[in-house]
Parts: sequence; structure tokens; C-alpha cells
Amino acid sequence: MAKEVYRFSAGERFVHWCHGVAFLLLLFTGLGVLVYAFQPAMNVFGGIQVTRNIHRVVAVLFTLGMIIGFIGKGQGARQMRRWFKDVINFRKDDFDHAKNFGIEFFGGHKPFPPQGKFNGGEKLNSMFTILGTLCIVTSGYIMWFASGPSLLLQWAYPIHAACALFMAALLIAHLYLGILHPDSNQALKGIFTGWVPAKFAYEHYEKWYNEEAKETMKG
Amino acid sequence: MARKMVFIDTSLCTGCKACSVACKAWNDLPAEKTQRISSYQTQADFTPNTWTYVRFREEYKDKKMRFNMLKLQCFHCADPACMKACSSQAIYKTESGYTLIDKDKCIGCGYCAANCPWGVPKIDEAANKAYKCTGCIDRVESGMKPACAQTCQPGAIQFGDYDEIMPQAQARVAELQLTNPKAHLYGNELMGGTTYVYLLQDRPDAYGLPLNPTTPISLTLWKDIVYPLGGIAIGASAAAITCGVIVNLVRGNYANRAKNIAASHDEGGK
Repeated sequence: MAKEVYRFSAGERFVHWCHGVAFLLLLFTGLGVLVYAFQPAMNVFGGIQVTRNIHRVVAVLFTLGMIIGFIGKGQGARQMRRWFKDVINFRKDDFDHAKNFGIEFFGGHKPFPPQGKFNGGEKLNSMFTILGTLCIVTSGYIMWFASGPSLLLQWAYPIHAACALFMAALLIAHLYLGILHPDSNQALKGIFTGWVPAKFAYEHYEKWYNEEAKETMKG
Repeated sequence: MARKMVFIDTSLCTGCKACSVACKAWNDLPAEKTQRISSYQTQADFTPNTWTYVRFREEYKDKKMRFNMLKLQCFHCADPACMKACSSQAIYKTESGYTLIDKDKCIGCGYCAANCPWGVPKIDEAANKAYKCTGCIDRVESGMKPACAQTCQPGAIQFGDYDEIMPQAQARVAELQLTNPKAHLYGNELMGGTTYVYLLQDRPDAYGLPLNPTTPISLTLWKDIVYPLGGIAIGASAAAITCGVIVNLVRGNYANRAKNIAASHDEGGK
């Protein structure tokens, strides 16, 4: 077996999948309300009214999964907090990685400075996800609980819709990079088992590999 | 059917509330326990069983008091914000100028209620459907007046073809303006032109009406900008990944990848 290093703790994987599965369910049920053409598809859950309630239940899980992941002293929570601190700290090395995103996306390669645990592209994706999640959660609860016409409620609608649609666009690219892209999809195993190929880690996160990951090597 | 108009002349209204009762009688809406809100007003807002009511404002000037009485119901706008907001295609316009809710299509989301500049449509929580004044479309389509217009004793509610009623309304304003320069029509130039048009004897806010009701900017942003841009973003993303897969195939990156993995497995085996 090829050598592997430990990349994602159980806590991080839990939060990732809570977020991911909940987002897909929320997107599907949300589109039923948002887009008339999608309404017939809601029959798989028993109609639009059932779907609206599912949307609310899953929204709570979406919110809780996110919050719980950051709480406590466990390794998972520590790693989640570290992820947050890492990704909002966007520096020149990150920019120099992210600027070649288009080239890498279409299978080319350009050298980039050694990256930490999260590279420039991942940091951008993470920041969009954090921002989008905060906005969509806030606007969603306003839509759920606000009563009567108010500016707050009126503005919650376009914000909720914009976050949903742009996060869906981001998700499509994320799925491609994680599953279909011949180079970066080596990370896919990491989000299931926590372990990624050591060679891949060295090539993509040289700084992290040298400073931390190397010590976890197995295989 | 020709465009209809309902002209509500507040200068003739006596505040008797018979319009509200007639509406209930025709539309099978049971009476509700009321309480005094202020002045002679006994209804705070629309309810699933009250689609029209009279709002009272007392205005004091030079030691004289005047009732600003306003029969409220749906305005039936030509360009309704509720219809723009509805995601279920449940709100539609009739040729006669009415704005109606298709209860079978309505899912009770409340987007209409949140976006009407007059706060007319509301959600009936028990039925989980939006409701509002139907303009007695069933009567109108059978050649009758709306129930409120039919019953109004002082003739403050005039109903007919737009082309016929509008000149009457304008003549009435001109007549009143001789003694009250504040008299004006409210509604005919708002939201694309409303089917229910008022003659007001003072500024709209003296009746608790918004001065400049418009489609909320947030609604225009949502439906005319966020939707198309969001659609484009999703389409562009899907197109990009399709190109990505094709380009990677053409470049032989998938084949190389398989070779590399085989090589590293060999390495691992050593």
C-alpha cells in the first residue's frame, strides 16, 4: 500500500458531511419552493407541504452540525477552529496558489509556493462557504420566524436565494475537484477515512507536509 | 371583459361598515368578535374572515373634527408586487383588471404578504393559504356589482367599466377641489394603475396610506437579478466542469494518473 498521512480528524469529517448532506437536502427541498418547475419533484417526499417542513428540520440539523463541530476541547473541535483561523488568514502565498486556479482546474500545472494545510484555492472555497452559510442561515431563520411585511423579511428573500444558487454553483465545482479532477481527487479518500496519499500531500501542501503531516505517515 | 374600476369616494362615505357586512354575506365569511381599535374602528386588520373593513382617523383642525374614513380591501393593481413575489404561479391577473389567488396552487409561503406595499394579502395559518379580497370576481363576471358597491347606501362605491367611471371620478375631484385643494385621486397612478381608486380629501398619510407605494427593491433584486445571475453561475459551473473533464481526458491526465498510482503502489510494495 502507498504511504499515507492523516489529514482530516473524525470531527472535521463529521462537520463536512453534516454540512454537505444537509445542504443537498436543503437545496432540493428549497428549489421546490423557489422554482415552480421543481414543485412536482417534491412528490418524492409527499408533496410541497411535507417538503417545506423537511426543509425546516434539516435547516436545524445544518445549523447544529455546524455549531457543535466547533464546541469543546476534542481533537475535532480544535481542528475545526484551526481550519477557521487558517482559511481567513489569506496571504501572498495563498494568492500565488489561487491565481493559477483556472490552469489547474483544466488539468494544467504551474508551480506555486509551498502551501499550508489548506491551499489558497481551498481557503477561498472555505471563505465563500463560511460567508454563504452565515448569510443563508440568518436569512433562513428570519424567513421562518418573521411575521408581517418588514424590510428585514423582504431582504431575507433575495439573500437566501442568492446564497443558495451561488453555493450550488460552488458545490458543482467542489464535486468536480473532489471526484472527477484527475489530480485533486486523490484527496477524496481523506474526507471518508481521514488519510490521503503522502505523495499527494507533499505535492499539494508541502509546508504542512514537512511541518506536521510527515509525522503521521503510515504504510 | 373590459377593464373595470371601483371608485371609492371618501367624501361620501358615512362609515356605516355595511360594505364589510355585505362582503361577509356574499363570500360566506362568518362574523367575528370585534373590539374598539380607535375612534369608530372595530377591525385592526384583515383576517381570513374579514376581507374589507373601514379604517377611521380623526383629524382635528381649527377646533373642527373630520373623520378620515377609508374602506380597505385589495387594490387589484395592474402590476402587483404580490404576483411578482409568488413562486408558485398562484397569483394571476384577469382581463377585467382583477388580481386573484388560485388557492389550489398557493402553498402558503407568504412571499405575497411580505411584499405588498399595502400589506393586503395575508396567510390564513389554519388553511395555510393566502387570502384577500377577490373583488367579487364571481359577481362581476356574472354582470353584477361587487357586494360592497351593491350595498353602499351613500353611493361612495361606484363600479363600472374603467372608461365610464374614470371621467366621473375626475369630475368629482374637480368639483371637490373648488373648496378643498387637497382632494385628489389615489391609486390610478400607483403600481401600474389600481382597479380600486380612491378619492382622498387629504394627504394619503392622513388616512394611514403610504405616500409612494412601490414594488420593493429587494423583490426586483430577487426576481430580476439574483435568479438570472444564479442560473448563469450554476450553468457556468456545470459547463466549466464538463470542459474540465474533456480537457483532462484529451491531455491524457486520467491515463497518467492511473500509471502514477500503479507506480506508487509498486514503490509501496518494495
